Amino acid sequence: MSDALDRFDAGQRATLTALAAHLIPAAHGMPSAGDVIDDKRLRFALEARPDLVEPLRTALVTGLPEDPAARLAGLERDQPDAHAALLLVVVGAYYTDKVVRERLGYPGQEAKVLQSWKYPVYLEEGLLDGVQARGAIWRDPATGRTAIEARPAPAAPTQRPA
Amino acid sequence: MATEPADVLIVGAGASGGVVARRLTEAGFRVVCLEQGDWHDKAEYRGPELDWELTMRKQWSTSPNVRGLAQDYPIDETDAEISPLMYSAVGGSMLIFAGAWPRMLPSDFRVRSLDGIADDWPLDYQELRPYYERTDREFGVSGMGGDPAYPAGGEDPPLPPLPIGAGGLKVARAHARLGWHWWPEPNSILSVPYDGRRPCVQRGTCQQGCNEGAKASTDLTHWPKAIAAGARLVTGARVRRLETDKAGLVTGATWLDREGLEHFEPARVVVLAANAIGTPRLLLLSASPAHPDGLANSSGLVGRRLMMHPFANVGGLFDEDLESWQGQFGCSIESFQFYETDERRGFLRGAKWGLAPTFGPINAALPSRAGTQVWGPDHHLHVRSHLGRGANWGLFGEDLPDPANQVALSPTLTDASGIPAPEIHYKVSENSRRLLDFHIEMATQSLKEAGAHTVEVDRLMRYSGWHLLGTARMGDDPKTSVLDRWNRAHDVPNLYVVDGSCFVTSAGVNPTSSIVSLALRAADHMVETRADQQVPA
Repeated sequence: MSDALDRFDAGQRATLTALAAHLIPAAHGMPSAGDVIDDKRLRFALEARPDLVEPLRTALVTGLPEDPAARLAGLERDQPDAHAALLLVVVGAYYTDKVVRERLGYPGQEAKVLQSWKYPVYLEEGLLDGVQARGAIWRDPATGRTAIEARPAPAAPTQRPA
Repeated sequence: MATEPADVLIVGAGASGGVVARRLTEAGFRVVCLEQGDWHDKAEYRGPELDWELTMRKQWSTSPNVRGLAQDYPIDETDAEISPLMYSAVGGSMLIFAGAWPRMLPSDFRVRSLDGIADDWPLDYQELRPYYERTDREFGVSGMGGDPAYPAGGEDPPLPPLPIGAGGLKVARAHARLGWHWWPEPNSILSVPYDGRRPCVQRGTCQQGCNEGAKASTDLTHWPKAIAAGARLVTGARVRRLETDKAGLVTGATWLDREGLEHFEPARVVVLAANAIGTPRLLLLSASPAHPDGLANSSGLVGRRLMMHPFANVGGLFDEDLESWQGQFGCSIESFQFYETDERRGFLRGAKWGLAPTFGPINAALPSRAGTQVWGPDHHLHVRSHLGRGANWGLFGEDLPDPANQVALSPTLTDASGIPAPEIHYKVSENSRRLLDFHIEMATQSLKEAGAHTVEVDRLMRYSGWHLLGTARMGDDPKTSVLDRWNRAHDVPNLYVVDGSCFVTSAGVNPTSSIVSLALRAADHMVETRADQQVPA
């Protein structure tokens, strides 16, 4: 399997680093994307999304303004697909970094054990009591008006603890 | 190649196809199903992986045009304000749906009688209710009975409700203060072990496939049982057209395998379950000198009246960490406070609200649904304010039928097999725009009452065509409907359509519960009338 990074020369990599640092600089206790996005992170993003290699190359092509702000503005205006690919690669590589996620307090999409036997807080607080006390809100096709009906006692997933 | 005709040939192994296959095989029918996609293993889904938010935008996109997989067909949507979304696989679009499972309301079946627009259904809520209850059990629905948005009585959902999360609790408290309706959302996602499946783990990646098998899809809930009972499911089978005999009965389907080889599958009865774009596409592709405008199309309504539920997202941002990247992506809570028509609002019908979780950091960092993007030093503040601190009301507005909103065959675009692709023409009505404007205003009030410091609005999401409905509507009059009240084509007595195409009106709720209940009702009727079914000689 070919390495996606082989598609980018040193000049393009330097341009990417500058753009990444411009988009996500070091601030507020978070590191710069220019520092975080090394070979490993860039390879990860492009292996996940090989379709982004070509539009990213377009975004990094020589001949566009060296100044990151000017290049980004030109890309967004004239080549939105390349601009979008650049943003996604930078963000995708940055926010999958272990240190970045730790500093954000984001552990990833975790598997948690449901505690379905627990009595829900919203029932403890009586948050459905008013809903049920107000009665039916559905429109009765027979009358065209809000239904009037006798309703059974409030349902609950478990019994309220004694 | 098959020689002995199947009792029933089903096209499409998704939600409705799976329900019909299971019911019919268990009743002794010999069933064959042709599915253009494949089986998926739960391990393929990317939810637990680092690349989840990258691959959800391409390989696991809900749009076939974005995915561009071999089993997908392209859709020309240049004349559509909403992009249709779907997935081709055993289990169909259920693999990538959210799992929200509300029923239609009684008024939804009587829109013409109550509001003087659109049409009435040829059945009512009470007739469909037993099928809702049966499909709740078949799929494993978690929820809580007693919701006063619906008529009292009947069975409660079979499983206890899923958690509503910290965001849901905040909004529930707000609605208690406002005196507005809210209720724990019913979801076809398991809250406890059920039918050999594991319960939800709250990973929040339901729309990219459920790794636990907790979210219902017919590849888990129906096809294994149907196959065990004798159904034959052929994957990688792309149906090109239905064939008919001189008597006007359908005789089977011509289809292409993965290598492009053509086959014919004969059948006594054909059931289309290919969604409200795939089904009219196939009926239109099946035109012949005997029916030059397409099969079952004497009414001229095949492909017309496409409804997709214009959708707005209203997101509240809170100071507290709500861990809102976790939780079922079905919905935590729902509200029907403004569902029924109130003409003083300046529009007819209404919308159901469903409160959904947010995504992870990549979604928080990229331009938001509302168009917000922040780069430079303050990017970090932007991400911190969005990641885990959001609660999103999704507003599904009732989409009124309009014959101009339609599925046609593209004269230029084809799928990988050279078969004409569907072409969508769809405009959002003025009624829908007014409806969404009102509901956005009310949902904003809800979130502000809940304590949101900022509310961001996406007024009309383009990639929101999850609900494909109405392109072969049912009705009692063959001049104004494609199907009869049992989902059978008026023109072709051995042809049924059991997907969302049959919808007369769209209601304002997620439709899968209603689609599968209507499909089960149609299958019951096929079983009950088996002896009288007209079949080819």
